[in-house]
Amino acid sequence: MPIKTENMPNTNKTFFEAEIDKIYESGPFSRQMYLQVRQSKHFMELYYMNKLELDDLANAAFLSRFHYVRVFKRMYGLTPRVYLRNLRLNKAKDLIKNGISITTVCFDIGYESPSTFSSVFKKCTGYSPKEYQQLHSAI
Amino acid sequence: MLKIYVTSIHVDNQEKALNFYTKILGFIKKNEVPLGEHKWLTVVSPDEQLGVELLLEPMTFEPAKVYQKALKEAGIPCTSFEVDDLEREFERLKLLGVQFSMSPKEAGTVKIAVLDDTCGNYIQLMQQL
Repeated sequence: MPIKTENMPNTNKTFFEAEIDKIYESGPFSRQMYLQVRQSKHFMELYYMNKLELDDLANAAFLSRFHYVRVFKRMYGLTPRVYLRNLRLNKAKDLIKNGISITTVCFDIGYESPSTFSSVFKKCTGYSPKEYQQLHSAI
Repeated sequence: MLKIYVTSIHVDNQEKALNFYTKILGFIKKNEVPLGEHKWLTVVSPDEQLGVELLLEPMTFEPAKVYQKALKEAGIPCTSFEVDDLEREFERLKLLGVQFSMSPKEAGTVKIAVLDDTCGNYIQLMQQL
């Protein structure tokens, strides 16, 4: 139910909505900066299956490498490298659930080595790709 | 190793909550274990059936009712669910009669909206941008 607070005369916004507005209006980044960094994230979502270098991502955001990593981490709470890894692993989980072979999944999501893929997958999900495949074939 | 396997939300009526969280929001019932006059009742996302379960916990503790009511009156969501396409989900849920206290709005790296779960809570839906 919308309520009024001292700082919210003549508004139907809830306390929560007013707080959200306050946080983002007084934040450290401009709307343009958000758009630029979001563009680099979108770039990762489109091209995660390719070999992506930090320069490619920074270029997509029109920022220097150093500035890009710093701003991305401040906005999303993790580095672009970790975001890209998580994105690839989520794609991998979907593909494995859909019955695609583990080796095919490995190359389809941008990893060049099946052993690296297996090791990263196990570290982040707690299951090896094979174990994950078996769990989902049982559902 | 410790794992987070469940998170809970207090609901005023478990049957009503199960109906809303499965038939309206689209979760799947995972566990239903009778425990006295209530149940251990959990739901999961269809895409994450091995993931964290949401426990629809009966609201029986009086001080918690006060807290829940205060959150609701301030429009503060008690938890947040992720969606792929917030606008699409907003339109789908509105057609099903779901009430929103906040329509989709961009806030930096996310787009969010807040809905009423009819069980005493506001829930935030979030799409990462």
